[in-house]
Amino acid sequence: MDVKELETAVLQVQREAEDALGQVQDARALDEWRVRYLGKKSALSQVMRQMGTLPAEERPRAGEVVNRCRERLQAAWEAARTALSERLLAERLASERIDVTLPGRRQERGALHPSVRVIQEVEDIFLGMGFSIAEGPEVETDEYNFEKLNLPQDHPARDMQDTFYLTDTLLLRTHTSPMQVRTMERMRPQAPVKVIVPGRVYRRDEDDATHSHAFNQIEGLVVDEGIRMSDLKGVLEQFARAMFGPEQAVRLRPSFFPFTEPSAEVDVLCINCGGAGCRVCKETGWIEILGAGMVHPHVLDGAGYDSRRFNGFAFGMGVERIAMLKYGIEDIRHLYQNDLRLLRQFARPV
Amino acid sequence: MKLSYQWLCEYVDVRDISPEALADKLTSAGLEVEAVTPRNQGVRGVVVGQVLTCEPHPNADRLKVCTVDAGVGEALTIVCGAPNVRAGQKVPTALPGATLPGGRSIGKVKLRGVESNGMLCSAQEIGLEVKLLPKEQTEGLFLLPDDAPVGADVVTLLHLDDVVLEIGLTPNRSDCLSMRGLAYEVGALYDRPVRFPSPAEPAASGASPVRVTLETERCPRYDAQVITGLTPKPSPLWMQMRLLAMGVRPINLMVDVTNYVMLEWGQPLHAFDFGQVRGGHIVVRQARPGERLVTLDGQERELKEDTIVIADPERAIGIAGVMGGENSEVSAATRQVVIESAAFDAASVRRTGQRLGLRSEAQQRFEKGIDPVAIRAALLRAAELLCELGGGRREGGVVSVVRGQPSQPHTVAFSPARCNRLLGTDISAETMRGVFRRLGFTVEESSPDLWRIEVPTRRPDITLEADLAEEVARLVGYEAIPSTLPFGATTAGVRTPSQRLRKRTREVLTGMGMTEVFTYALTHPGSLDALRVGPDAPYRQMISLRMPMSEERSVLRTHLLPSLAQVAQYNLARDVAGGRVFEIARVYLPARLPLDEQPSERTQWAGLWFGVTEADVWNRPRAYDFYDAKGVVEGWLGAFGWLDQAEFRPASAPWLHPGRSAEVWLDGERIGSFGELHPETAAAFELDVAVYAEFDLDLLVPRLSDRWLVTPLPRHPASRRDLAVVVGRDVPADALLAAAREAAREGGENLLEDIRVFDVYTGSGVPEGMKSVAIRLTCRAQDRTLTDDEVDALVGRVLAAWTARFAAVLRG
Ligand SMILES: [Zn+2]
Repeated sequence: MDVKELETAVLQVQREAEDALGQVQDARALDEWRVRYLGKKSALSQVMRQMGTLPAEERPRAGEVVNRCRERLQAAWEAARTALSERLLAERLASERIDVTLPGRRQERGALHPSVRVIQEVEDIFLGMGFSIAEGPEVETDEYNFEKLNLPQDHPARDMQDTFYLTDTLLLRTHTSPMQVRTMERMRPQAPVKVIVPGRVYRRDEDDATHSHAFNQIEGLVVDEGIRMSDLKGVLEQFARAMFGPEQAVRLRPSFFPFTEPSAEVDVLCINCGGAGCRVCKETGWIEILGAGMVHPHVLDGAGYDSRRFNGFAFGMGVERIAMLKYGIEDIRHLYQNDLRLLRQFARPV
Repeated sequence: MKLSYQWLCEYVDVRDISPEALADKLTSAGLEVEAVTPRNQGVRGVVVGQVLTCEPHPNADRLKVCTVDAGVGEALTIVCGAPNVRAGQKVPTALPGATLPGGRSIGKVKLRGVESNGMLCSAQEIGLEVKLLPKEQTEGLFLLPDDAPVGADVVTLLHLDDVVLEIGLTPNRSDCLSMRGLAYEVGALYDRPVRFPSPAEPAASGASPVRVTLETERCPRYDAQVITGLTPKPSPLWMQMRLLAMGVRPINLMVDVTNYVMLEWGQPLHAFDFGQVRGGHIVVRQARPGERLVTLDGQERELKEDTIVIADPERAIGIAGVMGGENSEVSAATRQVVIESAAFDAASVRRTGQRLGLRSEAQQRFEKGIDPVAIRAALLRAAELLCELGGGRREGGVVSVVRGQPSQPHTVAFSPARCNRLLGTDISAETMRGVFRRLGFTVEESSPDLWRIEVPTRRPDITLEADLAEEVARLVGYEAIPSTLPFGATTAGVRTPSQRLRKRTREVLTGMGMTEVFTYALTHPGSLDALRVGPDAPYRQMISLRMPMSEERSVLRTHLLPSLAQVAQYNLARDVAGGRVFEIARVYLPARLPLDEQPSERTQWAGLWFGVTEADVWNRPRAYDFYDAKGVVEGWLGAFGWLDQAEFRPASAPWLHPGRSAEVWLDGERIGSFGELHPETAAAFELDVAVYAEFDLDLLVPRLSDRWLVTPLPRHPASRRDLAVVVGRDVPADALLAAAREAAREGGENLLEDIRVFDVYTGSGVPEGMKSVAIRLTCRAQDRTLTDDEVDALVGRVLAAWTARFAAVLRG
């Protein structure tokens, strides 16, 4: 055998190997190919072993030929291996495809009742302003619900609140205002008094789209030396901005409550139209959301805060009314029907 | 209170201000105008016409063919279907081209072959307040007075060009229940002069034939005037129209005058037929026990002793301030009346009216307080009108009986500086002076900062400096009040433990998918029947309302289940397949009934799982069961760190399934119960299976702790062993676990870190009446890694205990 023959044999092996590699389809065949053409018993190795029979001066050339072939086959194998694994991966990925439009395994979130949600929001705003939260009995005495609020027996303003009486002296509170007095009696002589009072109240009203015999109110009370009506306006303005948005403004209008003097109805810019005028605000741009005023001197004195030294303001808002405005609920009864199709819409975090 | 714009303009000239602008002004001053309604609902081209002739229609039985002089040259032929049409009448006549309310336009038409050049109108057709008109004025044509000028525009004649403002008065403004008060208010708001004439005192005219005796202190003053020579007739058109505008029914001159003057002065008046007042003697006294009176509405009323009656020496003839008696009613035969103008105790009038279910205009004014100054003035005014319009004459002068001190204007101390401090404003003394002048209050300035304000008797609502401050703010405008923040000590706002417990419970429960509901506390007394609680159960002690609106809402609930069951029913009836809901609410538990003190109001959370779980791709729907509830209960207890101490014991609540319910105990205290509803309870609520839980939150408040520490992480690995044992079906899993813990402790060092059930199996391979319970033990020592021998020893002890106690057999 001479170099020429060897070269021919090597090229023969190389062609055969390259043809075979073209047929390889899977990892096992590729492995077999490697053993067959690059292993110890491969044709190439046998050619190598015959190199010793060549004359010494031809050996380098022969070595070069064989090595070139080995390197070429080695590179071809590596390329084939990479191509194969890429193909296999692509096949696997294709076979593992799922329908991503199917729904996820949902963790259903429960929902707070919209009224409670509003109460919590209001509470959080006033907690931030340094108010505490007080609560009181729903079964109240005539004394706290009326008399200590400057509403003596036979006061004409008792017409304003038709009352569910339980006995001559016990009733279902018609407002959260009795807690003004109860709070002052508990706190005196400390100042300042700063509380809000959420709770259920009751009126002898027929239930309809805008009236309910039971609803929630939030009362607010601040008593201290030097409290002014302008403070009432400022605090409610902060509240309105936190509750309804930074563009909010409040407007006070004269009104009457027996337990405040001066008294005011408080409007905010219409939540629906921002003040431009719409159906919700009856084209006025404003909506009434609460009643307020400076605590009446008789109420202050009666609860143990000398009205010559202390002043205070109080306000009360209807929770359902705010919930209705805020969430676009048109009928107050929807808040008590507990239709889960409505309530579940309140699963959004507060 | 209604306000006629035209009438108002007689006293204070606001003709340059539109009714709408006036309404805005009043509203911004605290007199909320709820509606501005033009009296004219669209009448144009309707004039006074006189029916000259009236002949039957040749082709129609019910129609008449009339000729009508409408002041337009020749007489018009008009076909008319009204039954009351007669020649000689003056009636509203719509000329061709006229429009009527509702956009109806009138043209020339042929009616059954006869051309009709217009239409004769009824009250309804010209938009009059038919509800307030007597029947005879609403059936057929509206008849105009004989002196109505032919051709005159009906809009002007009937004051249809007036506009009525409906004001929702707050109860303090009793002064504005009159044109007089409203005129002063409007005058003050616009700073315009008010001309409200006081009637002249007539010259003395001999002794009055009426004698008045006051026998009760609840009538501080009673004025009376006798008028003679009256003839019964309707009041003039202008007065009728004003009454209609103000929402008052015209009746006849004598009654209309008393109503008109009441609207004008705010002082209720009453006219008695003087011929029926026996002995000409009016006695004002309290009613006698058992006394009865037939009132003007024909009803016999039983009077209570706290009722004030007007009487003659023999009998009651009226209920003071509420309603007159039929026996002294002004009738067609009345020629002589005595007009009463008096003050009656507000509270007494109010109670009487409430008891009798009456709420007259007069009564409302007495309840809210009348102006003593108006008592005599209104009486003089009524007498003047009756003489002028009814041809009457005064018989004697006004008889006036007063008990106690006559009312005087009162004085209120006022400091401009304090006023500004209260309002947070910087209003000048000059401005404040102006406010009081406009209101008609007199200012006496003792010093620059101490004023004495004299308030007229028509404003009894002003008694304190704060009331005056409100008047200042009101007239200057509330928009003058700036926005400030209180500058006192800073306070930290915190929730109480009870509030925190409720808020966190809500967070935990909603986090576990429960939806909060809000139900009424007032419920039906029979709502407990479904709960299978006995007649003597404390739950039956329900507080009832004295005057419920309905039986459905007549008692305060003692239990939350009926409300939640109703929520389930409501939703199941509306395509909702199921749900898990909760409520945090109070139950009302009286110490005893009848109620003699405020009841205990305990706050509970209650949950209800009803129907089936939501179906989706991954989960088949299944009925909610006991373990859904227990999972939530455990999650909730765990969230507060109470789960480890909680004990679950079989429950005995009658509304729960006895074999599928549990009570939860914490440190020897029962905090609540939960379980499947008893089949009878479920059936009574028309539910299939449902699971109910209730817990007393008030009991838990003291246990709420915000201080807790983490358990340190272990330093050595744990060994786990899973065991399956076969035991009797009734052996509670908890008992196996408790026995294992006990056995683990017996070894001295407790190596059992955790033990839990992870499977329960019945069926093939497990004998009948038995179950296989798979339990995982986690063993660990704090100071070393356990050897297999140590773990085997522990497992051996546990198995021995189970075998000894429950005849447990280790499964293959
Ligand atoms: Zn709007």
